[in-house]
Amino acid sequence: MFQTGLQLATRMTRIGVYVCHCGLNIAGTVDVEKVAEYAKTLPDIVVAKHYTYMCSEPGQRMIQDDIKALKLDRIVIATCSPRMHEETFRKAVAEAGLNPYLLEIVNLREHVSWPHSEEPEKATEKAKALVRMGVARVKLLEPLEKRRVSIFKDVLVVGGGIAGIQASLDLANAGFKVYLVEKAPSIGGRMAQLDKTFPTLDCSACILTPKMVDVAKHPNVTLLTNSEVESVKGFVGNYEVAIVKKPRYVDGDKCVGCELCTKVCPVKVPDKFNERLGKTRAISIYSSHAVPKVATIDPDFCLRLKTKKKDVCGKCAQACEAKAINFEQQPETVQLKIGGVIIAVGSEVFDASRMPEYGYGRFPNVISNIEFERISDASGPTNGKILSPNTGQPPRTVVFVQCVGSRDKRFHEYCCRVGCMVSLKQAILVREKMGRDVNIYVCFNDLRSFGKGYEEFYRRARDLDINFVAGIPSDVRMASDGSLYFDVFERGTSKLLEMHSDMVVLANGLVPSSDITEINKLFHASRSADGFLLEAHPKLRPLECSTAGIFLAGACQGPKDIPDTVAQASGAAAKAMDLLASGEIELEPLKAVVDEDLCSGCRVCESLCPFSAIEMKRETKIDEEKLRAEVIEAMCQGCGLCSAACPTGAIKIQQYSNKQVLAQVDAALAETKGGN
Amino acid sequence: MSLIDSMSMAKPNLKTRSKILAKLRGRDLVNCFQCIKCTSGCTALKLLELEPHEIEKLVNLGLVDELVSSDIIWTCVTCLKCVQRCPQKASPYHVIIALRNLAVEREAKIPEEFMKKVSQILETGLAESMQKVTTRKMETCDRESLKLPKLAGPKESFQAAFMKALEER
Repeated sequence: MFQTGLQLATRMTRIGVYVCHCGLNIAGTVDVEKVAEYAKTLPDIVVAKHYTYMCSEPGQRMIQDDIKALKLDRIVIATCSPRMHEETFRKAVAEAGLNPYLLEIVNLREHVSWPHSEEPEKATEKAKALVRMGVARVKLLEPLEKRRVSIFKDVLVVGGGIAGIQASLDLANAGFKVYLVEKAPSIGGRMAQLDKTFPTLDCSACILTPKMVDVAKHPNVTLLTNSEVESVKGFVGNYEVAIVKKPRYVDGDKCVGCELCTKVCPVKVPDKFNERLGKTRAISIYSSHAVPKVATIDPDFCLRLKTKKKDVCGKCAQACEAKAINFEQQPETVQLKIGGVIIAVGSEVFDASRMPEYGYGRFPNVISNIEFERISDASGPTNGKILSPNTGQPPRTVVFVQCVGSRDKRFHEYCCRVGCMVSLKQAILVREKMGRDVNIYVCFNDLRSFGKGYEEFYRRARDLDINFVAGIPSDVRMASDGSLYFDVFERGTSKLLEMHSDMVVLANGLVPSSDITEINKLFHASRSADGFLLEAHPKLRPLECSTAGIFLAGACQGPKDIPDTVAQASGAAAKAMDLLASGEIELEPLKAVVDEDLCSGCRVCESLCPFSAIEMKRETKIDEEKLRAEVIEAMCQGCGLCSAACPTGAIKIQQYSNKQVLAQVDAALAETKGGN
Repeated sequence: MSLIDSMSMAKPNLKTRSKILAKLRGRDLVNCFQCIKCTSGCTALKLLELEPHEIEKLVNLGLVDELVSSDIIWTCVTCLKCVQRCPQKASPYHVIIALRNLAVEREAKIPEEFMKKVSQILETGLAESMQKVTTRKMETCDRESLKLPKLAGPKESFQAAFMKALEER
């Protein structure tokens, strides 16, 4: 291959240079005509042209016609970032019969016209220099071929909330085998905790439970609840994943969900599903509509498991008619071979005790919006009656406070996207459940009701005599009787209002799940500044990670309501199908390659590679045994770290050999000839 | 009590508020989301400091007692621009008229000009009084000099109907 490169380099090349205006994006600053004229003065240039939009159909056709008519064998296109259109132009030159890797993109937009818009003349000079460098490099490029490799078609879905459920169902219905992993003892996630959903007020459980059952019963879905991903090896299309099934201490196949055990268990435990507002037992079924409906023992509370003594308690085992209790159960590891991953680990609710001004955690009548959901839910600790957690009496005045932990640089700068609508819904629920006599106020910053049917929902709240106070309180205080009072400066009336209330509901925002750090490590899934998982492109590739084969669904990518979550989940499932359907994938050839003879087996590259793409192979050659680096092509992302660090120069990135890079450096340092 | 205006120590008067809402036949005309467009375009704002959005909000909050006895509700020039422009089809104008009617009911202090107008309508049946006119030749004329017949006063039935209408509001 290197020989071919040398041969090509020494042969006479016929280069075409194409300068794009990008409308006025480039041409507004850079004198594109001068750049094209300058290119003509460089050696081996057969043609140099400029055009308004090179990426347009006529622009591409112009290049293709020239390749055929003028027998061009190298192309330089001076245009926007290669991230934008390199693929477009590769396809275009390939259609004209040229190897798509004999193309060099020179970035005149992000590297020249945009940053130097104040200095057009200097920008033009820089553009010329970059074109000169591109021409020097393009001569040394080698023709490369993409490779196709076969892949596994099964999909791993991490997280069993509505996003994971939806993605699993879509994939399973399309014929893909799905492994749905959920950390909690039941699937359902956040949505299972909600009472009603905005803006239609349909009951969350009524629309979610059927989907939970469907996904659990689907022949193509393997449900792994109470389980976590332990390790991930491999690369797009070829992942090897280990899942740990944590012990339930209950045999899932035998347990019938009768809850006899829960009735006899003597240990009371705060109920996580009910946001610790109520108590459950050390052996319990996660929620009333849990899927699978199987009891789980909490080893932190169970007397038998804590003491590890055979004669302690054991009441559940005595009560269980199905003989399902097994105190000896051990963690179990499941090994899976999968092609793609959908991450749907969701988000958590902001902990308002970090904001002392609201008294959350100190004043019992200050509650969070997710706690309100449990209070309002018929299956919750108050059986759906809205009662003050302090007195157990129905409140006479309920105040909702918006933007708690969101739009706040001290905590989370972003808007939580759901807080306004959640409070509107909860305010409407208070009105519907408690009638005309209860006073309802919403203290807001900006009320954002942007979704379909949301503005109408806001209007409905006002129609129901819910009062909106334009202002956020700064100190919530508690009176001796447990009631709350605080001042709000109301923007509409310019009045300082002193408000008295016996329940304050905080619109806590959504924050990245605590699992995200682990997900980040396991799957090489990057995070954005807000802590959520980062999509490959904010507009054009919102459903996938920049690591190939990893897709994002739901609130792990950013705060989302249910409609958006479901839409993204279906989208991510479709992207996974797109990747895996054919059973093989195409690999970019711009990877690291090892020169066997030069490799000394020092392992520097292996220790540096962020994608674990280097494996050390031991091999015997005639009389000596030698350690040698080998690149796993499918995992290598072509980042070049190994190549920069290799002490013998044995490992190179295709198209970025020392020779190719140094030719560019020489061109950069060369004096400008002619042109200006 | 759920709310106090810390400056005036006023509290919401929910009874009066429901009375106003009854006059407005529901909540539609106070269904305001405080875009403040009404105040931006209010004819009475610059000279008379009327802020229609504030009136909407005060009625919603129930802080109406002060409002009913204030002079500000009498400054509206009833241009109806707020009604035309409101994106939520609320109407500060209708709310102001409802507040004025309530003020009359409560026999609150009403600006003299308004009372004069009422007695004039009662006496003459006309919203504007007879005025003299100056011609281009600078002659001043009135009905008498133009030999027009004297206007008859309103019928007794009109006065009765007018009084009745006033009371019903």
